[in-house]
Amino acid sequence: VIAKGTRTTRARKKVSLDAYALGALTPARFVEPADAAETAAALRAAKDAGEAVVVFGGGTLQRAANAPSRYDVVLSTKRLTAVHDYDPRDLTAGVGAGMTVAELQRTLAQHRQFLPLDVPFAQQATVGGTLAAGWTGPRRAAYGRPRDLLIGATVALANGTLATSGGMVVKNVTGYDMGKLYVGSHGTLGAIVRTNFKVLPAPAVRRLAIAPFDEELRERAVAHANGLALEPVAVLLIDGFREAAPAARPRLVALLEGSEAVVDRGTRELRSALGAAGIAETRLLDGDDAARAFQSVLDAYAARDGETSLTLLARGLPSEAAARAQRVRAAIRRAETIADLRTGDVVVRVREPAGDDGAPAVDTVVRDLLGRASVLSSGPASRADAWGEAPATLSPMRELKAQFDPQGVLAPGRFVGGI
Amino acid sequence: VQPFAARLHDALGPEIVRTDPEDLAVYAFDAYSEDRLPSAAIVPRDAREVGIAVRIARECEEPVVPRGAGTGLCGGAVPSRGGLVVSFARMNRLLEFDERNRRARVQPGLINLDLSTAIASHGVFYAPDPSSQKISTIGGNVGTNAGGPHCLSYGTTTNHVLGLEYVDTAGEIHRTSIDDPGYDLTGVLVGSEGTLGIVTEIEVKLLKLPDAVRVCVAAFADVETASEAVSAIIGAGIVPTALEIMDALITRAVEAHYHAGYPENAGAVLLVEIAGAQDDAAAGEAMLAKIAREHGALSWRAARDRAERDALWAARKGAAGAMGRIAPNYYIQDACVPRTKLPQVMHRIDAIARDFALPVGNVFHAGDGNLHPLLIFDRRDKRQVRAVVDAGTEILRTCIEMGGTISGEHGIGYEKRETLSLVFTPDDLAAMANVREVFDPMRAFNPDKIFPSGAICGEVGVRGGVRDAAPAQAEAAVTP
Repeated sequence: VIAKGTRTTRARKKVSLDAYALGALTPARFVEPADAAETAAALRAAKDAGEAVVVFGGGTLQRAANAPSRYDVVLSTKRLTAVHDYDPRDLTAGVGAGMTVAELQRTLAQHRQFLPLDVPFAQQATVGGTLAAGWTGPRRAAYGRPRDLLIGATVALANGTLATSGGMVVKNVTGYDMGKLYVGSHGTLGAIVRTNFKVLPAPAVRRLAIAPFDEELRERAVAHANGLALEPVAVLLIDGFREAAPAARPRLVALLEGSEAVVDRGTRELRSALGAAGIAETRLLDGDDAARAFQSVLDAYAARDGETSLTLLARGLPSEAAARAQRVRAAIRRAETIADLRTGDVVVRVREPAGDDGAPAVDTVVRDLLGRASVLSSGPASRADAWGEAPATLSPMRELKAQFDPQGVLAPGRFVGGI
Repeated sequence: VQPFAARLHDALGPEIVRTDPEDLAVYAFDAYSEDRLPSAAIVPRDAREVGIAVRIARECEEPVVPRGAGTGLCGGAVPSRGGLVVSFARMNRLLEFDERNRRARVQPGLINLDLSTAIASHGVFYAPDPSSQKISTIGGNVGTNAGGPHCLSYGTTTNHVLGLEYVDTAGEIHRTSIDDPGYDLTGVLVGSEGTLGIVTEIEVKLLKLPDAVRVCVAAFADVETASEAVSAIIGAGIVPTALEIMDALITRAVEAHYHAGYPENAGAVLLVEIAGAQDDAAAGEAMLAKIAREHGALSWRAARDRAERDALWAARKGAAGAMGRIAPNYYIQDACVPRTKLPQVMHRIDAIARDFALPVGNVFHAGDGNLHPLLIFDRRDKRQVRAVVDAGTEILRTCIEMGGTISGEHGIGYEKRETLSLVFTPDDLAAMANVREVFDPMRAFNPDKIFPSGAICGEVGVRGGVRDAAPAQAEAAVTP
């Protein structure tokens, strides 16, 4: 039933399937299609057999959704790594969904271009997985969200067909903008097989400023960081997360990107603002050092395998991010937080969240304080619902799922409201 | 059973409901030439009234067509099956402006430019700027996912919409946000041309005004050479805020009308805007001027001050309107190609126009590869009318062949729905139809738009494809 050339479990040991376990379920079968047509064929076969399929890229954000309610087949996208269409002079790139983000960046960097996807573990994370998980990072304030950079997509649907939308042009209103629907759908509507992006010229200079501060300077530090005339592409207020832009104390982390002149002025303004706030020391990292340190911050958003910490993301207004993070730390002493002063995101991490006896669950406390929050990662035994309260528009969402995947082939139970 | 119009009157009153044929005539058409009187129109004050009318329309099995300013070029607001037109003329307020977080909540009838004007003193602006922005509404812009010259660096409408309120086919009011968990309904609704829901409120993202803005004009021998320069600029990894080309025909029409200072004897002019940090402005301009000269620019001139910049932009945005001076009738096409294909596609368009013996003007968003060939004809001449339709289709086919698509920013609407099958396979279209099926299983919202009617005729509608050149005073209405 599965297209020729597709690797199945027969070639694999049981132990390898354990790596794809989600919650209490381990899939019985592994498929790794070589191209779009094979992916569609694999989904059709699963549908005909009444099996449930989870699409798997690098697996770095698989914990940012609920465990599936049924799970028979893991469909790996790791062979969908082709560069389909990349003429650097067009500033667009079309690649297979299984390409890792790091590999895509390397391809683009050869032509001094980049794509600001800002994912944790870029070496493992795939382009398709990043989109399916609806990932958005700190630099979106400057460059837009991944959804805004996606100009075309091909998706294998549960009925075994391939559906393309958009194209290779940067402006396109030809038909519905279906890419938006697949981005953030966590593999519940289809398996993304190909993605086309608008890419950007790489900034000439990249500089990361790390400014640890003492508690009594917090308010002034935030006020001054918020008032910069030349805005860094990312400004984060980090408490805890010692591994991220490593430091023991609370710190402001600002990423500056652009021409040398702009980054130099940005650095001067930042230093003078922080100096005015009473922060004497600002550590600067340039180029690859800056990129590595920034990646260490992004990695903090998602846990590594085996970690049992619970990490939640709450979106909100930039003006309130620092105060919201503060409220969480006041309520949960062990909480580590990242307040994104440009996008309004608040990230909360609590290690060993289930340790307390009879205390309310961490996710409940955070949601009471911040409103809606979704799980970025959790331990395998976590009982936290990944989504919390469903939005009021759940009913059309359920109907979309039923229309695209009436038999529940794709990632059943993983999404909002049990979709 | 009470007739449709009477029920609307009873529920909403004469201030909201229009049923006299004289009153309805203004809702019968948009900037495309198809026209059909609706049975009724409403000019509601809020979403609740929209919901009431939609419920009545549903019970009476009447279709519903939302309408902004009616500047759409593809018949997206034409009530092709009669029914109810919902005009947002009265829902035109800026509801909330959050300066610190750079967000605004607006009603759909708010005129695009009015938003930026209202908030400019706070150092922020709303980026999508279709050339019709002096009269087109943000709701209409959301419907077509409108673009504009500055989309080159800022992106189109969809990139600036944070959330929506919409009325569904049952008349229920819903709210979406791109920050909500679940499927991105906001992203799907933007650009759906009123076929999925009737948008009654929009939350938009605002951007900080740039420190420095420079506008420059370069003259070239012809459009192909200017296009090569644009390809070279993008290829060098430089994305200015705007890169616009006008050919000689358009430039002369524009100068005759606006006297903005474009070189009238050039074969083509390139309008370049660089906006951003003051630190980069001089170096950025020097780099662009160098590339332009290396690729055939005969001259390069920077606007001296704000007044001169504004004049250059006003002329550019009024280009199609200015064509009324020289063209008996014209037909604007909208297509998009990868940017490296620009010189080639411009060459082909020129050849197609010559094959059909039609004068062609070109005014377009070159940096985005977004073309707007403008075919000039006399509608009294049947042969020319046919030639315009055939040439338009040929241009679309050429763009598809070159890896492009059939609409960059105007939408599919009524005009291009049959051509949609040239771009997408039946499976591609079936996936889109899945979405329609969920939101509007009865096809009551804006019927006959976007989707092919069934049989693929591969031809642009003869009746609709052509229209009168608008008088110059209505320029904003018809400018790409």
